Amino acid sequence: MPAPLEARSFGKDFDWTLFGAALLLALIGLTEIYSATMNIPGDVSFMKQAIFVTAGIALMFVIASVDYHSVSEHIPWLYLGSLAVLIYTPLAARRIAGAKSWIDLGPVSVQPSEIIKMVVVVAMARYLSDLHMKGYLTLNQILKAAVICAVPMGLILLQPDMGTALSYLPILGVGLLVRGLRPTVIVSVILIVVLIVPISAFLLSDYLKAHQKERLLTFIDPSRDPQGKGFQVQQSKIAIGSGGLAGKGIFKGSQNQLGFLPARHTDFIFSVVGEEMGFIGVLGTLGLLGFVLFRSLHNAQTARDSLGLFIIMGVVGVYFFHLVVNVAMVIGFFPVVGIPLPFLSYGGSSILTAFIGLGLVINVRRRRYVN
Amino acid sequence: MRREELTVLRLRVNFGVYIVGAVLLSLVAGFWHFQIAQSRRFVELADKNRFKQIQIIAPRGRILDRENRVLVDNRPSYNVVYVREGAQHSLEELAALLGPGLDMSLEDFKERVDKSKNEPKFRPIILKEDVDVPDIAFINARKLELRDEVFVEYQARRKYLEGDLAVHAIGYTGEITPDELKNKDPKLYRSGDQIGKFGLEQRYDAILRGKDGYRLVIVDNRQREVEQPGYEQPVGGNDLHTTLDLDLQRAAEAALGDQVGAAVALEVSTGDVLVMASKPGFDPNLFATRISASAYQELNRDPRKVFRNRVIQDHYAPGSVFKIFMAAAGLEAGVLDPLDHVNCTGVVTIDGVTKSCWKAGGHGSVGLYEAIVNSCNVFFYNVGKKLDINRIAQYAKQMGLGRKTDIDLFGEDAGLIPTPDWKARVYRTKSKADQKWYGSETLDVSIGQGAVSVTVLQAAWAMGGLASGGRLLPPHLVDPGTLDKDGFVTQKLVPSQYTIRASTVDVVSRGMWGVVNEGGTGTRASVDGFDVAGKTGTAQVVGKKSYGKDEDFEDNAWFVGFAPYRNPEIVVAAFVEHGGHGGTAAAPIAHAILDTYYRKKTGQFGAQANGPIAQVKP
Repeated sequence: MPAPLEARSFGKDFDWTLFGAALLLALIGLTEIYSATMNIPGDVSFMKQAIFVTAGIALMFVIASVDYHSVSEHIPWLYLGSLAVLIYTPLAARRIAGAKSWIDLGPVSVQPSEIIKMVVVVAMARYLSDLHMKGYLTLNQILKAAVICAVPMGLILLQPDMGTALSYLPILGVGLLVRGLRPTVIVSVILIVVLIVPISAFLLSDYLKAHQKERLLTFIDPSRDPQGKGFQVQQSKIAIGSGGLAGKGIFKGSQNQLGFLPARHTDFIFSVVGEEMGFIGVLGTLGLLGFVLFRSLHNAQTARDSLGLFIIMGVVGVYFFHLVVNVAMVIGFFPVVGIPLPFLSYGGSSILTAFIGLGLVINVRRRRYVN
Repeated sequence: MRREELTVLRLRVNFGVYIVGAVLLSLVAGFWHFQIAQSRRFVELADKNRFKQIQIIAPRGRILDRENRVLVDNRPSYNVVYVREGAQHSLEELAALLGPGLDMSLEDFKERVDKSKNEPKFRPIILKEDVDVPDIAFINARKLELRDEVFVEYQARRKYLEGDLAVHAIGYTGEITPDELKNKDPKLYRSGDQIGKFGLEQRYDAILRGKDGYRLVIVDNRQREVEQPGYEQPVGGNDLHTTLDLDLQRAAEAALGDQVGAAVALEVSTGDVLVMASKPGFDPNLFATRISASAYQELNRDPRKVFRNRVIQDHYAPGSVFKIFMAAAGLEAGVLDPLDHVNCTGVVTIDGVTKSCWKAGGHGSVGLYEAIVNSCNVFFYNVGKKLDINRIAQYAKQMGLGRKTDIDLFGEDAGLIPTPDWKARVYRTKSKADQKWYGSETLDVSIGQGAVSVTVLQAAWAMGGLASGGRLLPPHLVDPGTLDKDGFVTQKLVPSQYTIRASTVDVVSRGMWGVVNEGGTGTRASVDGFDVAGKTGTAQVVGKKSYGKDEDFEDNAWFVGFAPYRNPEIVVAAFVEHGGHGGTAAAPIAHAILDTYYRKKTGQFGAQANGPIAQVKP
């Protein structure tokens, strides 16, 4: 085993560029959260979010400074503890929007299924990097990796919160792809997804919860239920489309300010960006998010070892999944699933998770030169 | 080994860069589509979300009598309305919440909502109209629960100050129907508008209705107003100055009482309609508030046909009134000399047809004057025989009978002056014998029976024309001159003149003076000091009556007269369906009008507690 690694000067090695991009995204998010809630008397979303961003940044520094190898060593009990929390959550939780995925911690409520994602990222990275191989994964190895992901996913599905459960899939998918799958396996999986998933979705529709079925059907035909889920997407499209090139101006979006936009400070925060900042703002925000992803991918390539590489790829997979699903949802390219946009959407758990992920990426980068 | 492993992994990570790049680019393309390519459409949709145009209904003009007394005004009124868009309660919940307070059942709620279920959801549905203060307080006290779902809305309503007085002339208003909307200018008329449905309200709707204003407001997702960026003030409608005289109208309707009939009075020199009374009537205030289906059915089923304006919409055999026109025609055609005498034995046989006079035993030797005063049939059979039917028709039409007077109301009847051509045309599908005109029919027409029929308005109008030497002015309830002042383009009233000798007018008028003043059949129409001339008519009713029990086939009663008998100012026609004798049933109605007119003229008519006097433009 290599000697204990001591990072070089914190200030010099810290990825300030990556952190700067994330901070900018969080500030855009805070601006639009303020804009979306300033007309609601007594609303404290902006203040809460500001506190969570601060807390997230602090947490990021903490995580960046602890060697990821020691994090990996503690992963077995962290993973098991997480499963215990996921079992405990629906028993203690309040029901919000049909799902029991929140637990109250004094003045704030936390969604454990969000934060635990990063534990699974590290667990998956540890398992895959420990394989130390060049060839393709065997079926046995694939199944073992799948179990690491599937157990927490299953517990989250029981809450039931399909959106969050689905966001665990990229941890497995990206990990397996990077570790090495036979091309025949990749092609078969793509074929299965393209052919079988839509069919079985219909065949199994009896097993889906009512609101899940609703969302699926609304995705297929958004005009089906204008006051329901389709109405949300329609209003979101109106907000984004009417923003035009330069937007209506911050704090001046009519769809946002007059309340036509649903869930506008949480899942639909990007619609507010589109309406008030226009196509230019959308390009800028997507550009910053893209920069975070590309920079992280670069950090993965320069990682010192495969554990660091897999940790970053897990985080990238989670960010990318959230970004694509959320942004595609607000323009009606994807069904409405309750998935927040990293760094922008209102939500303490989501913000903490995003900054923990950032801390992991920076952690790996700081230790890239050793050896 | 480790290095090689990392090299392979890094190659795969590199592949991820392309995937992320491609996906981000396709998302950007999606936003390009919405924000650049299709932006205009979404801007419109966003505006549709937030802008609402709220109509401000312009107050309708008042209707005034000739002395600017208000006949029709507007009054404030409030409706409880319900908006389905964004409603938080089910209809059942609303009925439970509001039913007891508004005294309405769930069925009532459902009925109201079902009627408007095809209308846009944002349009308020009236749950209860014209509510009183307790109802308003009841709804406002529940504002918190009801939010913007159920609320109280202002609406101006028509107020007919005199109730059913002159209702057939004044008319009423109601909500525009889809069919009516099709024929109107969509810029001026919209669904839900109140428009004139009958009478002057209908005829002069364009003048009475104003131009609605609007408020342009920005609303939030719960339809609450946030801002008002646009406002256009409504322009109230113009007052309608009618020619009606409230005092004379009241006198006429009081005299008609519960009888079925009609009365009309015209100012001879102008054609102004001073009185237009038709009985039975109905209260137009019923239509100002939404009339219930059952109340409307009850009015509609009344066998006395309350909605018919018996002054212009129905025609009746004129009976002996027609003898005046026969006399004038005979004199003008030269077939009758003022000194001619006929011996009335009570029965006469002309061309093999035997006809009798109304007086058994006859009137003896009668001249024209006695024939008019005593209404001798035999005398006028002879006139008719000499004139023949075609010449009777020619003169009658010239004098204003059998054709529309062109009064400013819709639905006027033309009456009928029969001719052999007319009969052949009407009976063209029947046998030759049925189509033929018989001499006996000419005799019937000569005394105003048979196929000849006139409207009550025509009788007064033609009599006024005759008495004033052949001058006919279209009768009217609104003088176009008063409308010109308000800037409306109207057709001028053009008088027409037919030739009639002054001596003819003189002889006929003298006879009619005798009817009223020298022991004739119309004595009851006389007014002390006012030289009234007139003629009674007692027309047989052919066919079955549609109502009543005891007085089957009772005659229709007429009185047509004017005053003063030289240079007449006012002409009156009174008619009572199944009233019996004209002298007893109709003459007193004419008397009431003429007496009031004369007392007003001579300053003996006390200032009565009338309705409000309108402030009008100088």
